[in-house]
Amino acid sequence: MRTAGFRTPPRLLPAALAGCALVGAALAAAGGRPREDAAAEAPARQGPERPVRGGTAVIGSNADISGVNELVVPATLPTDEVLFRIFQHLVEEQGDFDERPPTFEPQLAEAWEFSPDRKTLTFRLRRGAVWSDGVPITAEDVRWTWQAQTHPDVGWTDASAKERITDVQVLDPHTVRFHFREAYGKQLLDANEGVILPKHAWSALPFAEWPKSADWFREHLVTSGPFLLASWKPQQELVLARNPRYYDPRLPYLDRVVLRVVPEQSALLTMLRNGEVDFLSGNVSPADVPAVRADPDLQLIAYWFKLTVFVAWNNEDPRFADREVRRALTMAIDRQTIVDSLWGELARVGSSPILANIWAHHPRLRPLPYDPQEARRILAARGWRDTNGDGLLDRGGQPFAFELTTNTGNQQRADATVMIQEQLRRVGIQAEPRVLEFHTLVEQLDDGTFDAMVTGIGLDTSLDFTSFLHSRSVGDGNNFPRYRNPEMDLLLEEIQRAPDILQARGKLHRLQEIVARDQPVSFLWESQRIHGANRRLRDVQSNILFSLFDLEEWWMAPAR
Amino acid sequence: MLWFLARRLAAAALLLLLVLSAVFFLLHAAPGDPADLLIEERLTRAERERLRALWGLDRPPAEQYAAWLAAVALRGDWGTSLLHRRPVRQVVAEALPGTLLLAGAAFLVDAVVGLALGVTAARRRGRAADHLIRAGSLLLFSLPSFWLGLMAILLFSHVWPVLPAGHLRSVGAEALPAPGRLLDLARHLVLPSLVLGLWLAGATARFVRNGLLEVLGQDYVRTARSLGVSERRVLWVHALRNAAVPVVQILAVTLPGLLSGSLVTEVVFSLPGVGRTLFDAVLTRDYPLVLGVTAFSAAVVIAGNLAADLAHGALDPKVRDA
Repeated sequence: MRTAGFRTPPRLLPAALAGCALVGAALAAAGGRPREDAAAEAPARQGPERPVRGGTAVIGSNADISGVNELVVPATLPTDEVLFRIFQHLVEEQGDFDERPPTFEPQLAEAWEFSPDRKTLTFRLRRGAVWSDGVPITAEDVRWTWQAQTHPDVGWTDASAKERITDVQVLDPHTVRFHFREAYGKQLLDANEGVILPKHAWSALPFAEWPKSADWFREHLVTSGPFLLASWKPQQELVLARNPRYYDPRLPYLDRVVLRVVPEQSALLTMLRNGEVDFLSGNVSPADVPAVRADPDLQLIAYWFKLTVFVAWNNEDPRFADREVRRALTMAIDRQTIVDSLWGELARVGSSPILANIWAHHPRLRPLPYDPQEARRILAARGWRDTNGDGLLDRGGQPFAFELTTNTGNQQRADATVMIQEQLRRVGIQAEPRVLEFHTLVEQLDDGTFDAMVTGIGLDTSLDFTSFLHSRSVGDGNNFPRYRNPEMDLLLEEIQRAPDILQARGKLHRLQEIVARDQPVSFLWESQRIHGANRRLRDVQSNILFSLFDLEEWWMAPAR
Repeated sequence: MLWFLARRLAAAALLLLLVLSAVFFLLHAAPGDPADLLIEERLTRAERERLRALWGLDRPPAEQYAAWLAAVALRGDWGTSLLHRRPVRQVVAEALPGTLLLAGAAFLVDAVVGLALGVTAARRRGRAADHLIRAGSLLLFSLPSFWLGLMAILLFSHVWPVLPAGHLRSVGAEALPAPGRLLDLARHLVLPSLVLGLWLAGATARFVRNGLLEVLGQDYVRTARSLGVSERRVLWVHALRNAAVPVVQILAVTLPGLLSGSLVTEVVFSLPGVGRTLFDAVLTRDYPLVLGVTAFSAAVVIAGNLAADLAHGALDPKVRDA
């Protein structure tokens, strides 16, 4: 699963507005499963209750879906959340990638097998699975979907997932074989990327017409998932209804799921509290948590997530080029205090790009201590001293002063810049907080024209950090700190080549040791994903990947 | 009169062109790129370039602008929205009814409340009611409408939950009989139209008061009073009718406020509409959609002003001949 997460969606009102609206963090990515962590909260305990069929659940979302054909509409999280309930993949990636490498459950394919050399992967499709118009789902659909995904006229943004697939071969109506250029760790993930599309319904429109025909797909909508798209009023609401032709006749339990679009954060919370919506997906800010907890009709669903937030030092800037200086900067920032005041127990101090809840996290890694004395000592050894008595460190006549930027619409990050400013001042460094509009920020990241920036990344389930730490991703990917280290480049390439990521555990540990030593970024926090739900809503399986994971198994307890 | 009309129309067309050109080039000068913003994950440079080429964004802005203008002028083709992947005209047409509904309801509130407050203040000039209304209307107009909206939601949807916090319909309202559906719609319109309407009424009240005071001081009103015409008749028939001319002109002035106010109100109350469409389009740098919505809004405002000009021109030869 390719996962988003390095930014907040540009869907909140501008900064002035956001402040008044008490907008909290708007995390960019999807959910995770309730776990046994002390601080995480599980949904209301269901006991031995049996699911009840019927009813309607209303989900509040701050953004609408962008369309019904994922190949041509912008890939946003709400779009994926909904499309993955009305269309199916070959297999379903499970949300357990924190405990082990991603695992899969059957979806349209009931079995799959690699050849001994791992250069082909064969799927056996489920018999009896049909499209919503009754036409059987066959291997032809799978092959044609791959052709659409890779066709240049279609312009699918995720087409790179198919780069190493050379052919998709139909062996018989229920068997399909993927051929790969080479064996590598992410083969199943890549083959499975993208939902299977209805050839019989959608091949009538030439690929060249696809990018401007979002309406055509809606008018010719044929789906395969547990839900049908019953209606959709853009910007307002969409209604999912039970698909009577779904291959598992037990499911879904709910008759209807209504997704209501509510762009304003505080209005969304009000709607949850007065019963207008039953589920708020990942949109509860830490400041609103006490109110949700105190409400006897609501349950809080919180779990450790995959987003890590840090200060990215521009490693190309002479002031931040020295790793000892970056270590000193990390030690001069009191991260625990920042976490305590912004998140309470809903976050913890980060130490690694592989979050502490992920199986490959280095078990002996600890955040660098907060030690301003030691920071001052290191800085002095590197030539940063207050020679003119103005309270600021200087070197070669230049004071240690820089801009600390972050993006608008994210209150926690903006607050963090101010706290960091105060903490760095105590060691004689002047950080000037600056909140930038998102587009300006992206431009600065690409051009490397920033000093330091509070930003973050979402963990990719395949634990591929090429985009974050490889030198070739500087200005072209998520290598925000512009970090270059040949040892790291080699290591990343080795990890990527490993046929099984489990075997690369040692290398992943080494990667984390290097990051801890070099401090290209100063990790600030790893936070929990926080959903709010009506207590009547049961078996909510939100996980690290999706808030609406297994939506077909959600059910609504009768009102008392 | 024809010459006057032709001149005004030409000026309006030129103004529209200027507005669109300014929006187009400002938008392109602003940092950001649809290829970056539409996708929640980071694309590599190569992928981004591929998308930009597919969407025609790799051409110089001047060339893109010329092509866009030619398509609009010659074929009436407003292009395809990058965000929605549908024709811009369709996206705007779909958003229009929501905005018309909100703007209509808000205008009603504005007219009724603004007029009532304005007349009351003028009648009680210098007295406590006048001061109270003047201060209150100034306060109303100075409050940001998003703040007013959030407070309204907090009060009437949370603290005293009598009205919905947003949207135009309740879940399942389509199953209700027609009167029930109408009532449901009205309930949903109360808060947003009051918030937007009262915000505008602040300005209207002040306009009405000043216009009325000016008229009330004129000779014919004094004459009417001296002839024993009742105060009620003087006010509502003689004075207000004459004061109505400038008040009608306020309408043209109110239009931009109504449009920009509905943007914020639509976002706060999750209503469908042109304002929210524009909001999303600007944030994602959906150039064709921003231009389409701007063209529409600018045309409405310019048409409103043109109509006011024409009305004024028809009433006042001095304007027509100037």
